[in-house]
Formats: sequence, structure tokens, C-alpha cells
Amino acid sequence: MKKSLIITLAVIVLLILLGAGSYNSMVDKQEGVTKAWSNVENQYQRRTNLIQNLVNTVKGYATHEKSTLEGVVAARSKATQITIDPDKLTPEKLQAYQKAQGDVTTALGKLLAITENYPALKANENFLELQSQLEGTENRIAVERGRFNELAKEYNAYIRKFPRNMFAGMFGFEKKPYFEAEAGAEKAPKVEF
Amino acid sequence: MKLLKSTILLLLLSLCFQVKAQVKEYTLENVPNVRLQNKMRYVSNPGGILSQEACDSIDSMLWKLEQKTSIEVAVVVLPSIGNNDCFQFTHDLFNKWGVGKKGKDNGLLILLVEDQRKIRFETGYGLEGDLPDAICKRIQTRKMNPFFRNDNWDGGMVSGIQSICARLDGSMTNDEANKDEEGGNIMLLFFAAAGFVMLVGFIGGIASWRATRCPNCKKHMLQRTDSRLLSLRHGVKREEVVYTCRNCGHKVVRETESSDDNYRGGGRGGLGGGIFMGGLGGGLGSGGGGFSGGSFGGGMSGGGGAGSDF
Repeated sequence: MKKSLIITLAVIVLLILLGAGSYNSMVDKQEGVTKAWSNVENQYQRRTNLIQNLVNTVKGYATHEKSTLEGVVAARSKATQITIDPDKLTPEKLQAYQKAQGDVTTALGKLLAITENYPALKANENFLELQSQLEGTENRIAVERGRFNELAKEYNAYIRKFPRNMFAGMFGFEKKPYFEAEAGAEKAPKVEF
Repeated sequence: MKLLKSTILLLLLSLCFQVKAQVKEYTLENVPNVRLQNKMRYVSNPGGILSQEACDSIDSMLWKLEQKTSIEVAVVVLPSIGNNDCFQFTHDLFNKWGVGKKGKDNGLLILLVEDQRKIRFETGYGLEGDLPDAICKRIQTRKMNPFFRNDNWDGGMVSGIQSICARLDGSMTNDEANKDEEGGNIMLLFFAAAGFVMLVGFIGGIASWRATRCPNCKKHMLQRTDSRLLSLRHGVKREEVVYTCRNCGHKVVRETESSDDNYRGGGRGGLGGGIFMGGLGGGLGSGGGGFSGGSFGGGMSGGGGAGSDF
């Protein structure tokens, strides 16, 4: 009787130790994902900040393109209204966020497409620099999304493997969603006349 | 005879065509990292697109920049990267080589792809404030593209590097070199000296202990009990010393030579000093020469920078 008690105790202690180690790793990885998420948000924010400048510059030259300009401003305000708490990143929330930002991308694309028709604007150094800043931001967004996906993948794989998945469930660690490639992102917006 | 001649000619001609048709496509793996052989070289120019004078001029400017600010710049000029996207290639190469000092992330990678006619700057996280995207673009449009449009690779690249150095000069200070070398040298010196002193003491200690061994009972119980001066000449004292074993009472008589404590001679003191200086010299010497190769500092980039088509 005594022997079996000792063995049971030993097994329990072992489980606790295993659990503690796994728990700490899970916390670390989750924090990594959270940080990666804020990096992504930062880059999107940077883009949002650039948009106002861009709209003002284009307005001066493309005075008759009201609808396109308003489209960009509207998409931007919608996107800024969607905030996500990184600890409660569900696939639906991420999709909503991604869609809102995707709309901004589309609106921006339309705006940049019409600027092709205004050579004076295209030659404006201010505009060229804004354009390059926008390009740079888009690149940065792509990089940070890639990093987020990588870290999310590591985290997800970690919490799903046996026997950690048992602990993960107990302590409330949930799978993180990924940034998916945007549907239709490969097609550049066409300008119809 | 005529047939042989014409076949040889044909063969030679076909060879020429073979060589001309192939433009080497570079991948992340086979772009040469020239810094690994020599830390003072910054231009990776495997296709020979830039001239040697241009490379030397660029190397000297970037060396000065790195000494002053610790900023690491890498210039890569390639004939082709195949169908790879210029931005992705630059970004991956930057992070693969780790351009820029770790933690500071102050690296800049410049890539010129001849067949795509593109120039791309990629800035590390820490350089984005001093060299923002707009400035990168400005340098390219004003100082580099006009040259590149006329295939003047040397002119464009040198002009661009001049602008970059002018822009980054004074942007940050280099606290790497001092920290590293001074600290390293002093530490090395200290350890060399301490180690030497300990070694000498240790050897001395062992020698003394072994001398206390009694030949009769084999125990280390000998003790100096009596001494008699034999001669004292030129600072050299000769004595006859009697050692008695505390265990078995056996007596051992030894003749010893020692330097007279009062005699101000040259000899022994000089030898000790000489060895110490040797250790010092060794320590200093290894810290000095830095003209060997090395990898980049391990900096990272988040995709910042700008690109142009020309």
C-alpha cells in the first residue's frame, strides 16, 4: 500500500514538472506572437498615417477625381475603427481586420492608378517620395506579416503536440490564426474609362 | 587539310556562342561575401561590372564610415538573379548575411541587378531613422539613376555611396571598436601576467616540496638544521647546508649556491623581467592586427529602403 502511494506521488510530481516547463515555453511563444502582432499593426498604422498626406498631395492636381479620393479616405476610417486585442486573436477577428486593410489597399491602388494620367503630379518630387514611402511601407507590412505567420506557426505546432496539448487546453492556450493571402491580391485594379 | 581547318573554326565559333549566351544567374547561396576574406572590402562584384578603381574608392569610403559610425554597408552588383523578385532577394540576402551590428541593426545593403535594370537599397531597423525610404529614393533618382541609364555603373555607384556617406556621417558614434579592443587587450594582459606569476609560484612550490624528501625513509620530513658558509665571491654565496629528517633522524648535506642579497648584480633579476615583457608583448600583439576577414555583425532588416528602375 505504501509503495503504490509513493509511486503515485512520484508520477504526480513528474507531471507537474513537465507541465511547468511546457507552460513557461508556451507563455514565451505566445508573447512572441503578441509582439509580432503589434509589429504588424505598427506597419499598418504607418500606412494609415501616410494616406492623409497622399490624399492632400493628389487633391491639388487631380481635382476632378473626387470619388476615388473619397473612396480612399472612407476605407481608411473604416480600417482604423477595427482594433484587435492580441490576446483574443480569433480567426474571425483577424479576417475582419485583414479585410478592412485589404479594402484600403484596393482603394489606394485605384488612386495610384489614376495618378498615371497626371504627368504634372507624377513629376512632383513630393508625390514621388510619398509613393516610395508607401511602397516601403507595403514591403514592411509584407515582412511583418510573414514574421507573424512564422511565430504563430511555431506556437500552434508547440501547443498541439502530445502531451502538451493536454496542458494547453487546461491553461487556456488557444491556436492563433494566420494571415492568409488576400483573394484577388494578384490582380492589380484596372482603371476603366 | 581544308576540312580540318574549317571544322576547327566551326568548333571555336560555337564555343564563343556558348560562352556569350550564358549570363550567370546568382542565388542567395552563391553571391560571394567578400567581407569574409577581408573586413576592409565591401563590394561584391563577381561579374566584374564595376571597375577595380571604383571598388577601391567605395571600399575606402565605407571603411571610414564604419570606423566612425559602426554602420555596415554591403554593395552587391550582379549581372542577373534570374526571375527572382529584387525586393525579396535583397531582403533575404540582408538577413542571411546579417548586415549591421547586432542589436544596433545599422546595416545597409545595396543591390544592383544589371539585367532587370534595378537598384535596391535595404536598410536595417536601426538605420530607418537616418536613411528613411524617401531619402533612399531621392539618392537613387538624383545621384544614381542618371548614370545607370547610360550604363555608367562606376559613376552611379560611386556617386550614390558619396551621398550615403555624407548623409550618414555623424548620425551615430562608433562605440564598438574602443569597447572591444581596449577591453580585450587589457583583459588578455591581465590574465597573461596573472597566469605567468601563478605558474612560476606553482613550479617553485613543487620544487621546494620535493627537496624535503628524506632519502632514507622516503618521507617528506627533511628540515634545515645547520649551515656553514663555504665561499662568497662576486655576489655568489656558496654554503654547506645540513638537513635532518624529523622522522628517522637521517642527516643530508647539500651544497647550495645563491645570489647574495646585498649584491647589486644584473643576472637573475634581468631574466625574470625579460619573461614578463615577453608575456606583455604577446598580449598586445594578438589584439592589434584587424586586417583579416570576418562576417557581418548580425543585424536585421524589416524590409525598409527603396528601389528604382532605370
